[in-house]
Amino acid sequence: MSDGLELVPARAFLDPRPRVRLELQPGDRLVAAAGEAVSTGDVLAERIRDPRLVEVPMPRHAADQVVPLPGTWLPVQHARGGRRAGAPAGELLFEHAGRRRLVTGAHLDLLHAPADGRVVEVEPGAAVVLDFDGPDLCASELLGEPNSGRLVLLPDESDPRLAMDIALAGAVVVIPGRVDAEALTRARAMGIHGAVVESLAERDRRDLAASAARQQAGLHRMAPFGVLVLGGYLRRGLPAAIRAVLEAVAGDVVGLVGDPPLLLLSPRRVLPMPAPDRLLVRGGPEAGREGRWLGPGGYRRLRGGIGSETGLVALDDGRTVAIPIGDLERFVFAAPGG
Amino acid sequence: MPPTLLADPGPDPAQAAPATSWRVSGWPDGGRPEAFLALDRGTATLAGSIVGRVDRRWRLLAATALPAGSDPGALLGLLVDRFRSADPVLAENTLGRPAGGPESVDGWPQLVALSAPAATLAIIAATDRTRARLEEAALGAGWNVVGGSAERTDPLALTRLATRPGVDALLIGVADPPDADERELAAELAVAGAGIAVRRPGLRIFLAGSVPDAPLLDVLRDPAIVRLAAPPRLPGEAAPASLRLALAAARRGPDDGRAALAAAAGSLARVLGLRVEVLDIGVSGAARILASPGPGNDGGIVADVRMLEVPGAALFRIDQPGTIERIDHWFTQGLDRARLRDRLAELALAPWSDLDGDGALLRAAALRAALERLLEASGPTLGDDGVDLVIGTGGAWSAVPGPAAAHIVADVIRRSGAMQVAVDHARLLGPIGTIADDAERDAVCADLAEDALLRLGTIVTPRGLRANRAAGRLEIVSGGVRSEVELVAGGLTLVDLPPGARGTAELAFRGAAELGVRGRRFQVQVTGGLAGLVLDLRDVPLRLPERPDRRREILATWEQALWPEREA
Repeated sequence: MSDGLELVPARAFLDPRPRVRLELQPGDRLVAAAGEAVSTGDVLAERIRDPRLVEVPMPRHAADQVVPLPGTWLPVQHARGGRRAGAPAGELLFEHAGRRRLVTGAHLDLLHAPADGRVVEVEPGAAVVLDFDGPDLCASELLGEPNSGRLVLLPDESDPRLAMDIALAGAVVVIPGRVDAEALTRARAMGIHGAVVESLAERDRRDLAASAARQQAGLHRMAPFGVLVLGGYLRRGLPAAIRAVLEAVAGDVVGLVGDPPLLLLSPRRVLPMPAPDRLLVRGGPEAGREGRWLGPGGYRRLRGGIGSETGLVALDDGRTVAIPIGDLERFVFAAPGG
Repeated sequence: MPPTLLADPGPDPAQAAPATSWRVSGWPDGGRPEAFLALDRGTATLAGSIVGRVDRRWRLLAATALPAGSDPGALLGLLVDRFRSADPVLAENTLGRPAGGPESVDGWPQLVALSAPAATLAIIAATDRTRARLEEAALGAGWNVVGGSAERTDPLALTRLATRPGVDALLIGVADPPDADERELAAELAVAGAGIAVRRPGLRIFLAGSVPDAPLLDVLRDPAIVRLAAPPRLPGEAAPASLRLALAAARRGPDDGRAALAAAAGSLARVLGLRVEVLDIGVSGAARILASPGPGNDGGIVADVRMLEVPGAALFRIDQPGTIERIDHWFTQGLDRARLRDRLAELALAPWSDLDGDGALLRAAALRAALERLLEASGPTLGDDGVDLVIGTGGAWSAVPGPAAAHIVADVIRRSGAMQVAVDHARLLGPIGTIADDAERDAVCADLAEDALLRLGTIVTPRGLRANRAAGRLEIVSGGVRSEVELVAGGLTLVDLPPGARGTAELAFRGAAELGVRGRRFQVQVTGGLAGLVLDLRDVPLRLPERPDRRREILATWEQALWPEREA
């Protein structure tokens, strides 16, 4: 490894064996069980769209039976002879003072497995935890819901609003250029399952969340849609290392998950790895450029009188510059489990 | 009128630093180390220092800081190489001969302070009154808080609140003694808590007040339940300090950086004999610590140390109402609100990026706004009395030049009086604070105080002057040289007083002014620093024009005086 390269903060960009939590709400009914292997698209849980709380009396003879734990799914109890009230099917929130609080609801949505994996843990009404075979691409945030689809890379300079049409329905699209909430809302309307972007401004995130909330409130809900943000908030191009991975898996079915935020890739693919001394400039005047680490550049005074450790970088455009270490990133595998 | 006098800023090292028996754990041959590595591992910054014995004193030999994802071994190698090339003889005396090959952190004795991101505590209480008091205590203990009460929120919403991703612990509470309505709800809350605990195995559970634990014991095999003091029932009564301290202890690890800072502040107060205020502002949290020396029962000096953590005052935290507006208020560059929000959100993700240019100015504005939040949140608990020495620590302070940091303190801390200002430039206070024994820590502090604290100077802030008028005269005597300065109210007057210099300033005002006390003539002991003596003759509190362009112009004028490189 090059001299002093470890001074540069490492960005975990591939997770070798991720463990993923898919969030549930009280009232959601688990279909998958711990230890079960699942395939992409398998139903993991039935989600209640508008959960409501109902309070019902304990059934007769319930005191003699094993007390169900909170989170247990209880079947419907029919009313009998007008003397005993019935209870809808639902998840037990808790029992107290001779009455049960159940979470129930009418409209069901399905939570599908975003990739092939194995259920390792279920937390009723809280989460289902799965292991996936990596390596999978690390991101910074998933906006919206987990989903899966065939990965399609849109051209660099295209207007995403024009490039996204009904032919991409069911796909997960990579938008390498400028993107806004309008383009993402259009993608959702076209039946696209998700989008992968390098950055998204706060205003577009809020617009997208508001649009999703309106969809959620609708009676005829549209399919789940997720936007996976790989970087941050300021407009940036895709780093070459990430672009190379995405190009290698184009056409494969991929999954989007949010906890941790990842793009789940096919484990059968051999992924291109960047050279260890390959660097991305994250901020400052050279932001977005890439290059190769040459060594420590010493402690230097920057514009504005701030002092910082720097590194010497041979940029791809042929220049050698000293760049603050804080503006540099190198790409590494994530530590297993981390 | 009585003068405002400041105590001596530092002890005579030869007298204050007795030969210490302190030993650093991990020293390879078990003997006394001649050097050790101090690491402050923050969420955004990895700060490292080599401290070694020179002439029987601990001295700071090398220090630097890197982004948190950097490797500590690489940082150590950089420091050792730099030290060896700067002073090979001293390096060989303290570190020994180069062993060849890269330096290994494991082979070095170390003092390590860790700062973890604030964890999230879900609070469910019987009533909104109790919830508010529990939240107050939890926020002061450094938790991020989500909360609800059975009085206003249904059990489903409470369960969703406590099982959402990111929640690390659950606090169920009623007041002590409970109201009649709370008594009825306590049992139901405990059952609801048991339901939450079943859904989230591993969730830490705290019970405050007379909440029964039987429902939890019924459903959990081996629950880790911690009982805490209940919040008071009477309106207006603050949550007890014991509750806050217990919640803080439950959140922190053994090497917690902020707890260590409090210990170090106590040592500084004892060693320097000064009332010390530490303002720690980082990317993941913030804390304000007050340490005051006083006589102990055994004739020695003890320090009264009080600390309040304020997660909401973290540097780039912009999720609270009005935060963006306050940063915009202090920012001297015009930027539309959406762009400003994106810049700050990006800095929260990559705190070390964009250090130069307007990135530095943005950080300075964010630091002012964070400091405002810290003082506002801690004021009711810690008060706003004057202190002798204000110390800035945490990543936020190291991203602005020293004189600019003094200006930030002057802008936000609007107390009439005089105070010395310094920054913990090498982030040494946290590691020093991890030394468990007070006497040993005091001895190390006595040795290292002057190296660890980068002196910025003295800020003198009189109140009650009439703006834009001749206010009086300053005579300063330092090093046998007397100089005079005419004072004009409404701005900053800077007097060059280099680091290490001390002097006496005599202020003669034309009318009565307040400088701790009201009067016309004052004598103030001042110490020098990178910013020198700053006479802040602006309004207390600071009044700025409402029009953004005019406000930016006047702020930039003041900023330019103490930060001339800002336009470079």
